[in-house]
Amino acid sequence: MKLKNANWLIKKKEGLYCIPGDFYIDPLYPVEKALITHAHTDHARPNNHFILGTKETIEIMKIRYAKSYCNNYQVVNYNSPLTINNIVITFIPAGHILGSSQILIEYNGYKFLISGDYKRVEDKTCKGYQNKKCDTFVTEATFGLPIFSHPSDKDEIKKLLESVNKNRQKPHLIGVYALGKCQRILSLLRDAGYDDTIYLHGALVKITDYYISQGIDIGKVKNTSDLNLSELKNQIILCPPSAIHDKWSRKFKNPIKGIVSGWMNIRQRIKQKNIQLPLIISDHADWNDILLTTKENNPDKVLVTHGREEALVFQLNKLGFEAKALNLLGYEDEYE
Amino acid sequence: MSMNNLSILLDKLLLNSSKKIKIRLLNEYFEQANSNDRGWTLSIITNSIKKKNIHLNDLKNLIKNKIPSELFELSYDYVGDIAETISLLWPKNKSPNLNLKLSDFMNNIFFIDDKKTVLEKLENIFNSSTSSQIYTIIKIITGGLRVGVSNGLVRESLVAFGNRSSIEIEEVWHGFTYPFFDFFEWLLGASLPKGLKKEDLFHSFMLAKSIDNKIFLEDPRDFVAEYKWDGIRAQMIVSSKFKLFSRNSEDITDSFPDLKFNSNDNYIIDGELVIKKENEILPFNILQKRIRRKKITNKILNELPAHFIAYDILYFKGKKCTNMNLNKRKDLLSKFISKINKDNITFSPSINFSKWKELEFLMASTLNNHIEGLMIKRIVTKYEKGRVANSWFKWKKEPYTIDFVLMYAQRGHGKRSSFYSDFTFGCWVDNAFDKLVPIGKAYSGFSNEELNQLDKWVRNNTLERFGPVRSLKSTLVVEISFDNINHSDRHKSGVALRFPRFSRIRWDKPVNEVCILKDIKSLIN
Repeated sequence: MKLKNANWLIKKKEGLYCIPGDFYIDPLYPVEKALITHAHTDHARPNNHFILGTKETIEIMKIRYAKSYCNNYQVVNYNSPLTINNIVITFIPAGHILGSSQILIEYNGYKFLISGDYKRVEDKTCKGYQNKKCDTFVTEATFGLPIFSHPSDKDEIKKLLESVNKNRQKPHLIGVYALGKCQRILSLLRDAGYDDTIYLHGALVKITDYYISQGIDIGKVKNTSDLNLSELKNQIILCPPSAIHDKWSRKFKNPIKGIVSGWMNIRQRIKQKNIQLPLIISDHADWNDILLTTKENNPDKVLVTHGREEALVFQLNKLGFEAKALNLLGYEDEYE
Repeated sequence: MSMNNLSILLDKLLLNSSKKIKIRLLNEYFEQANSNDRGWTLSIITNSIKKKNIHLNDLKNLIKNKIPSELFELSYDYVGDIAETISLLWPKNKSPNLNLKLSDFMNNIFFIDDKKTVLEKLENIFNSSTSSQIYTIIKIITGGLRVGVSNGLVRESLVAFGNRSSIEIEEVWHGFTYPFFDFFEWLLGASLPKGLKKEDLFHSFMLAKSIDNKIFLEDPRDFVAEYKWDGIRAQMIVSSKFKLFSRNSEDITDSFPDLKFNSNDNYIIDGELVIKKENEILPFNILQKRIRRKKITNKILNELPAHFIAYDILYFKGKKCTNMNLNKRKDLLSKFISKINKDNITFSPSINFSKWKELEFLMASTLNNHIEGLMIKRIVTKYEKGRVANSWFKWKKEPYTIDFVLMYAQRGHGKRSSFYSDFTFGCWVDNAFDKLVPIGKAYSGFSNEELNQLDKWVRNNTLERFGPVRSLKSTLVVEISFDNINHSDRHKSGVALRFPRFSRIRWDKPVNEVCILKDIKSLIN
């Protein structure tokens, strides 16, 4: 029999909590048992006692947190159901970054799908998004406003390459988030036919090396840490967004500065960042993709979390879903 | 040349904060555009077209037919700019193919009176446009491009475009209006249009050099001395129309209706604009307050009445007098002043002196706060454009120098974007020496090497970060120079400094030797 009221999955201050399974999903504070959707630091936090996640998620957490990544862990494979206390847990590819998952939780025939962060557009650096029918869909809302309609990533990469071709004497400093965005940009550049060595700020190297170790093809990259930066001219250098205006960036001669982010479609945001080359590439679903996903998953209820919930709740209700905001605090926009 | 080219230009201008690059972008655009598009683009960039047929609300209604108003409002709330919100919300065309000429848009849409027709046309255009193109079109309609391009910067880009010098352009600039077709012809060598008379146009100011000790060896009888007023330089053009221009040739007529009057003859007067109330000239920051006002209400006119202190004349009764010597011009000026007989336009008096020593005494005495120093002008000189050698000299009071404590640092812009180069400094609130109050901000006066040292110090002595700003440990003393000090109700400290800049970094000095707020206030005359 299907339970009408799924009151066994609730919100606590640590995050979403499953009562019969006694576990949290992406808890904000250390807990006994945690299911981790993906390794971005606002979702995967250190010092949990026991974690459950994909191999890649756990290995990246280990790289980032060293000893404090957890006490114990269990690796799960995509689409391989696992039962704990009569609860069936399935990790489903979310297409967000390497190892990222949505988590399907079934109890007494009722299905909760927790999206984590997800995107539907193709990304060769991770397994592609898959949809899933469910009764309650918990969706992210990072880009939950109709002003967000991500352009084609290939066109955005073209913009970068055109600038590189036009400004032969100038290095291109491009701000990317270290996990996911960096490697996706590398892969997109290779697909666009860019064969030169691409240079990496030291902070991007560890994770990129991990991607390479997992067989992801990103071509030739080089760590800038031991190079004379002023000699880099017609090159692409990827760095964390915070390094774009940091002391480190002074060593480059007349650089063109860019940032890759889904926020870069808003002029005053670009202006604030003080850059010349905004590239609108996001690892999150945009407004239309969130709506499309919800329709495909066809839930009775939708819970909207982290991001711009209000507009999305409004629109989903209008489309006939019973939607409300989950109001979880602590997940950040910065990782985009 | 299409609407698309303009759209690309505006996006590039927004993204490049360097003045040099902006000038180059504008120049390249003007080179490539056809003559009509040049004119229209200039009209748009300088916001010269005052006709407003379509309002933001009409455009909002267009989008609200396509999307629930709740979603519009939430989106607007997030984006903060209506044009951009509409451009992002407009249903995307998979293959935008806008083929719209700028001049066609201006002639066939912008200037059409029938609102309904215009809105229908706009809807069709938007349907085949990209977001950027929609944004551009809305900004043309509503004005206010916010791409960081001043009129001065546009003028600089036009120097490289045509055969005219920057002074020539500055002088005729205000004689032309949109769509500026004739202006571009003039830039390329044509003579001035018939209706334009020199005596109605702005004239470049004659400027002074800093005082040179050599002149003290000359005969003082060859010179005139005047007070150097602490206001803003302004030029008054009196005729059947009335115009007031600032030092950088901006038209500020509408900000000073209290000075306005007309005459059948043409006069051009050079002088200083100040605020004068009950026979007392008010501090410079009060004048700034008045200049910043968009709307001039009766209250403002009563509280902050403008006053023009005239010191030179370029045209008298329609005749040019710039070739006359200073004494002759002053005679004409004084004739003009007594003829118009207005309380708020007065003659800048000459200071009687027969020996240079007398002026030195005067400089050493306590000059009033609204006096920056003295002007020494050679009598035989003509009125010439710009900074002419050996003619006019400014003799400024020594700046104040006071030690303060650094409190906050902010990253600079452009080449300085990785440096903490903008500093807030303060002094102690009282004798307890435990709380600082911010007094002012300074961004200059240090060498590149000192900037490197300051930047390093900021990074190592940060208490907290608020976005681009860092609060600092109260340990570093800097000596700040400034030209003047006055009361201010806009600042927490109650004082405002004029042009504060670094004079020295006192790495050695203990912070408890920095003064308290009361001491600073006692400097105000």
